[in-house]
Amino acid sequence: MEKDFILAGFGGQGVLLAGEVLANGFMIDNKNVTWYPSYGAEMRGGTVNCSVVMADEDVSAVLKSSADFIIVLNQASFDKFVSMVKKGGTIIVNTSLAIEKRIRDDINYVFYPITKMAEEKLQSIKMANILSLGILSKVSGLISLESLEKALENVIPIHRRNLIPKNIEALKLGYEYDLLKV
Amino acid sequence: MMLTQVFKIPDSFRKDARYTFCPGCDHGVAVRLVGEVLDELGLRENAIAACSIGCSVTIYDFLNVDALEAPHGRALAEATGIKRARPDKFVFTYQGDGDFASIGLAESMHAALRGENLSAICINNTTYGMTGGQLGPTTILGQVTTTSPMGRNTEYYGYPIKIAEHIALCDGTAFSARVSLDTVANIRKAKQAIKKAFEVQMKGLGFGFVEILSTCPTNWRMSPQKAHERVQNEMMPVFKPGVYKDVLGE
Amino acid sequence: MATECLTDKKVLMKGNYAIANAAVLAGCQCYFGYPITPQSEIGEFMSGKMQELGRAYVSAESELAAINMTIGAASTGVKAMSSSSSCAVALMQEALSYAASDQLPVVLVSVMRGGPGLGNIYPSQGDYFQATKGGGNGDYKLIVLAPSTVQECVDLTYKAFYLAHKYKNPTVLLADGLLGQMMEPVTFKPYPYEEIDNSSWALTGAKARDGRIIRSYAPLADDQCVYLEQLFNKYRQIEENETEWEERDTADADVVLVSFGSTSRNVNTAAKILRQKGVKVGTLRPITLFPFPSKRLQELSKTVKKFVVVEVNMGQMVNDVRLAVNGRVPVELVHKPVGTPPAPDVIVKKVEELI
Repeated sequence: MEKDFILAGFGGQGVLLAGEVLANGFMIDNKNVTWYPSYGAEMRGGTVNCSVVMADEDVSAVLKSSADFIIVLNQASFDKFVSMVKKGGTIIVNTSLAIEKRIRDDINYVFYPITKMAEEKLQSIKMANILSLGILSKVSGLISLESLEKALENVIPIHRRNLIPKNIEALKLGYEYDLLKV
Repeated sequence: MMLTQVFKIPDSFRKDARYTFCPGCDHGVAVRLVGEVLDELGLRENAIAACSIGCSVTIYDFLNVDALEAPHGRALAEATGIKRARPDKFVFTYQGDGDFASIGLAESMHAALRGENLSAICINNTTYGMTGGQLGPTTILGQVTTTSPMGRNTEYYGYPIKIAEHIALCDGTAFSARVSLDTVANIRKAKQAIKKAFEVQMKGLGFGFVEILSTCPTNWRMSPQKAHERVQNEMMPVFKPGVYKDVLGE
Repeated sequence: MATECLTDKKVLMKGNYAIANAAVLAGCQCYFGYPITPQSEIGEFMSGKMQELGRAYVSAESELAAINMTIGAASTGVKAMSSSSSCAVALMQEALSYAASDQLPVVLVSVMRGGPGLGNIYPSQGDYFQATKGGGNGDYKLIVLAPSTVQECVDLTYKAFYLAHKYKNPTVLLADGLLGQMMEPVTFKPYPYEEIDNSSWALTGAKARDGRIIRSYAPLADDQCVYLEQLFNKYRQIEENETEWEERDTADADVVLVSFGSTSRNVNTAAKILRQKGVKVGTLRPITLFPFPSKRLQELSKTVKKFVVVEVNMGQMVNDVRLAVNGRVPVELVHKPVGTPPAPDVIVKKVEELI
């Protein structure tokens, strides 16, 4: 089995970090995994994205032309990546910063005001990235919350350890997105 | 009859050293001074030289020390590598003005700016000697060379560089001086300056530098005596001898 | 920033950090560098780590200075390295020619990006020629190792230091922007190679002996003839002892796909798909680009009907494959000028068109 993920948003929304957490989660689950960022000229002002590939066998291409799951945290990323969702795949859309619009009928949509919920429930829009991973955990069924929680420990530097409980809260909140009243 | 030894080849010289410089060239005097200072400071067995390209490269044929031949202009980069790898060693360069101040200006200035514990000797003879006397960074205004046949003018060639002054401006420099070899008294001063440039390294104070005004009788088309007169009459007014920086304040 | 050192635990790490960490574990005593994308993380990691360990680190004023500082350090026998990319590695070519001639164990990490000129910062394999043929003057060879995974970045960094010292030859770890920037799980085992005794040649101060001279200047033509013959005897030895490649499913293969570095990842997947479609495909991945597995390719050309070389440049390694095969069977090229390697399905389609 090989599954491809893309996480995209504005620079500063933490999509590279979220991708790193996801990739660490797969590593903890003993999967083969790669993480690959968009880097360089794209990083300032425009959209930032990273690709995560998880596989039981060796990961070949680290950057694909399509993905099974795509998280978009802003409109520009939605516009750029919606066509790259594989048929039958899923796009998770942050409706706080993107319009709710079903422009294809062969993919699944998860529309959720990720930034708004992060602000209201966690008092920080910076938690949107990790919150979106909670949603991904639920809708993909490919990575457990426990693995993502362990992954946070790998990724968050020692001097920022105090932020881990809040990030775990964000994961849980995302995981229960469909139970919450927006 | 008692015999007193008044002259000997420095112990730091190779036993098979053969004189390879042109007659009247001051390289011979400068290399000898370096050898004498190595002797007096007891540095031969602890020294590593980074050699340059040009007439100065043959220093490794004279000095019996470990030596690395650097590409043109990179002697102080290689010396930096040597010193950083082996901080306990005494590391020095012996370069021409073309190597030090033209092709290698960046490496030279940055070694001084970093305050590398290195000693550098630079021979200024206002020309590219080994390639046959072309215009170099120190060629003085009006000087005729094979690539300034009508003499150096500022329109085509710009101005000569005053190396010792520039190096003195670098915060990492511990000692910078310009000396000449035109008289016995000045040769004595030159030796003192070389000693100083070596001592600041030994004390870990930073970059030690000596610019030596030298003759190039062959390319100047002059006798050795006339060449030394040129050093006095034409070079010293432009490149004024003196100590431009000395953190020891002596 | 990653600050890992020795660990048995799997860690998810960027290729650049993995290379730097491996260099530290290999015992690299001196690092000299100048920033350039996409390899700047190597210098960033080294700046902190080397100071923490009391080893040498210099932010050089240029790549010229960086590689020459590396030569200086290597001349004293210690393990020393620099790292850079493409247009900046171009600046180092003179020094690499000197280092080859001086026979010094310089290690250079070259993380390829787009070219020629300033090019761009995306991955590329356009410096195959730069690394294996050299941009410096004269007859010389660098040992060139090409990793295809982040784990291999680690293993081959170790090997680069070993081979550089074993053969007193500048050695290049040739990665690309993809490997430098991607993260993959890696483990760091201790440096597995023996330490090479260099007391017979290193510059350490002429204590109770005559001064040693490390130089490339041979004023007499006859001396240079003798010297070059000796140098090339060494290269032949390296070819005999150190040629390394990875081969899959070639026993019954009609078509062998040849690729190196990160491109091989996609090629392996393409080969699997082609096998599933009934095409008898094998793969060969040179791990050492010099020495190149020419002999093996020559052997395979007796049974294989066609070679297809896949690379991210305008066709460089394909020349070496053609030389090895020497016209016995066709050697085709599938390439992409710059960027991430062609996707497996693209490779499959192109190979199907060619056979």
